[in-house]
Amino acid sequence: MKCKVCKKKAVVSLPSHNAAFCPECYDKFYMKQVSEGIRKRKLLERDDKILVALSGGKDSLSLMYALAELGYNVTGLHIDLGIPNSSEKARSVIEDFCSEHGFKLIVSEMEKEGLPMPLVKKHIRRPICSVCGKVKRHYFNKVALEHDFTALATGHNLDDEVARLFANTLRWDQSYLSDQGPLLPAENGFAKKVKPLFRLTEFENANFAFLKGIPYHHLPCPYSGGASFTGHKMLWRDLEFKSPGTKRAFYEGFLDRGAPAFAAFHEKKGVEVVPCTECGCPTSAGVCGVCRIKSQLNEALEEEK
Amino acid sequence: MVEVRLEPRGKEITFTKLNTVLQLLNKLELRHTDVLVIRDGELLTQDCRIEKDDKIIVRNVMSVG
Repeated sequence: MKCKVCKKKAVVSLPSHNAAFCPECYDKFYMKQVSEGIRKRKLLERDDKILVALSGGKDSLSLMYALAELGYNVTGLHIDLGIPNSSEKARSVIEDFCSEHGFKLIVSEMEKEGLPMPLVKKHIRRPICSVCGKVKRHYFNKVALEHDFTALATGHNLDDEVARLFANTLRWDQSYLSDQGPLLPAENGFAKKVKPLFRLTEFENANFAFLKGIPYHHLPCPYSGGASFTGHKMLWRDLEFKSPGTKRAFYEGFLDRGAPAFAAFHEKKGVEVVPCTECGCPTSAGVCGVCRIKSQLNEALEEEK
Repeated sequence: MVEVRLEPRGKEITFTKLNTVLQLLNKLELRHTDVLVIRDGELLTQDCRIEKDDKIIVRNVMSVG
């Protein structure tokens, strides 16, 4: 197979773009997808101070690398969840990556915050992925605001976004559909959130990480078995195989034609956001979800004594 | 004998004969955008030929949490 651009030997073939690329041309293709996505959806300004959430996987590390290559001011944030045989490996990968490339890194340890995931999993009777996601989003926002970052960037890719959109559409969840997209502007105590990899698939990010020599953490989270998103991704994998480009058309079609309608609905409904009475973080309840989890966990630990 | 290592599980499989990457993927019931296929530190597209005694890594790209 030959590179579509320069006709050298190709190493990556992308049916959705009806193209194959050599390493040099793939780099240009990838960086263009990131920069065009940022430009067309107005995700970032040149002077944004960006906090990049780093999990240690291919997507977040590729995002950090690409944003730095594009000249943005980036700092990494890793949430150490304290999961045995997993968290220390992910953290080590991130620390090595940031050290090698000279990137600043902030690590927030859930053990020190009184929320190590093994204890949360043991004592909180809710799906662990949902609680973990809530905790991570809480600290992403908290750290971003405390350190005066103007944007929080996450490595969500096209597959993540399509799986989420699909799940929200299956339930016709108007509230979630109203704010799904690669840009959530800063408001009500929330930092601006962006997903600059929304045009790139997991496969495309994995190829980029490999070709850039970025070692990444690719073992699944030991607590993630049976996550429903994985099933949705498998359905889309089959659709995309039969009709390459469907994933992208579905997502971009939603952004152009579906999202504005749901956003208008959300504006009408309006939900009041106030500071949490415990920690001051924004919430639609009196006490935020994370403070409630902390409180439930403390009660369970007291009972156990 | 072609040795194939499946990541991240670390499972190893051997094949007596394989002609192309596409044939390997078909045998593993994978689509080419599911995995990176790596030989000697280089990525292979599905039309690449596989030689006897090749050692191949097939790395799943789907995040599951």
